[in-house]
Amino acid sequence: MIGWVGGIVITSKDYTADIPEKLLTVDKLGKKYGGRWIFRGISFQLGVGDRLVILGRNGAGKSTLLKTIAGLTSRTEGAVAFPDGDSRHVLGLCALEQSVYGQLTVEEHLQLTADLRGCPARVDELLQQVNLDYARTRAASQLSTGMKARLKLAMAIQPDPFVLLLDEPGAGLDEEGRNLVEKITADQAKRGCLIVATNDPLERRLANLELQLV
Amino acid sequence: MKEWQIEMRSQSGLITGLLFSVVTVYAISFATLNAKLPGTVIAGLLWIALLFSGAASLPRIFLAEEEQGTADLLRLVARPHAVFWGKSIFNCLQAVVTGLILSFLYIGFTSKAVSVPWLFTVCIAMGSLSLAGAVTLCGAIAAQAANRSVLSAAIAVPLLLPLVALGVSGLRVALNDGAISDGYVAAVGLTGYAFATLATGPYIFAAVWKT
Repeated sequence: MIGWVGGIVITSKDYTADIPEKLLTVDKLGKKYGGRWIFRGISFQLGVGDRLVILGRNGAGKSTLLKTIAGLTSRTEGAVAFPDGDSRHVLGLCALEQSVYGQLTVEEHLQLTADLRGCPARVDELLQQVNLDYARTRAASQLSTGMKARLKLAMAIQPDPFVLLLDEPGAGLDEEGRNLVEKITADQAKRGCLIVATNDPLERRLANLELQLV
Repeated sequence: MKEWQIEMRSQSGLITGLLFSVVTVYAISFATLNAKLPGTVIAGLLWIALLFSGAASLPRIFLAEEEQGTADLLRLVARPHAVFWGKSIFNCLQAVVTGLILSFLYIGFTSKAVSVPWLFTVCIAMGSLSLAGAVTLCGAIAAQAANRSVLSAAIAVPLLLPLVALGVSGLRVALNDGAISDGYVAAVGLTGYAFATLATGPYIFAAVWKT
């Protein structure tokens, strides 16, 4: 165990204390909704190579924590800090509840997100990476759940983010898709850090740090 | 560009607006058949048609992002100003095109002579731009609320009242029912309203976009 903050247990498998660069700092983060604290007092720092898995029962606030870190949901207290730079470039998020535009094709999604982020689209490279090249001209409304999950993964890693947030990344994916997630997390650990929110025991192996929401 | 691609494939907004225009023009023309209506009444009826045509389709552009769950994707990858301008420009184009088609259909069906054509065109174009700016902003502000449709309508009412007053005043003069000086005031007022909503919109939107 490396920490105990506000009912949150942080445990480490092979945690190394000397991380050269802090890519993500979460300081006393708390979120209150409808008069009830979803989570409170969460503090941690992640650097290059850190892979944190957030565990907890349904409704424990795993997805809300990821959305709060990403700035998609307002925080009640605390702070989240990224390295200097535009959060559009340093952060990638792939969430189960995230939707895609049914009328746009797979490659149009990647072009759109690249245009809005101001980063290279890398359409061919990303589609090959997530094994979705064969469906590049297909409208998102015609994709299966697993194919949409691959598209969302491609959009999340498009800017080569320092911080990658994955919410239930294996949901809806077949065996090959799960292997793909494993490869993406391994690649991510080389250039930055990763947070995975999951209930899947198999996905715990993606991480070297654990945070249990209680 | 994204709005354009989606609209061209679904064609929901343009078709809704145009169908609404045709049905409204037909209904008003039928109801006032053989009646000699003053310019003020015709201007009022035309503005009601414009208002409902815009209110039916324009706020959807933001509300739909929240309802379909795509808003978070935009929040992650886009600057608020880019989102606001992308959607506003699309809404403005749609509103002006629909407004001009509706107006000329209406004038054609009612056979009412337009005595000041430039004022008529300016009032319709600037009125449609103002309407698009105001309604888009209302949709953007209300988009994240649980009861977003009701809230959007509630915010829109006080914003649209002065716009309707200016629009009716200008069109009334264009249809030969009032002093031309009133028409100038209305045209300048509508132009100012359009610029004001579009100039302040990005800043208001940026404040509510990621909260």
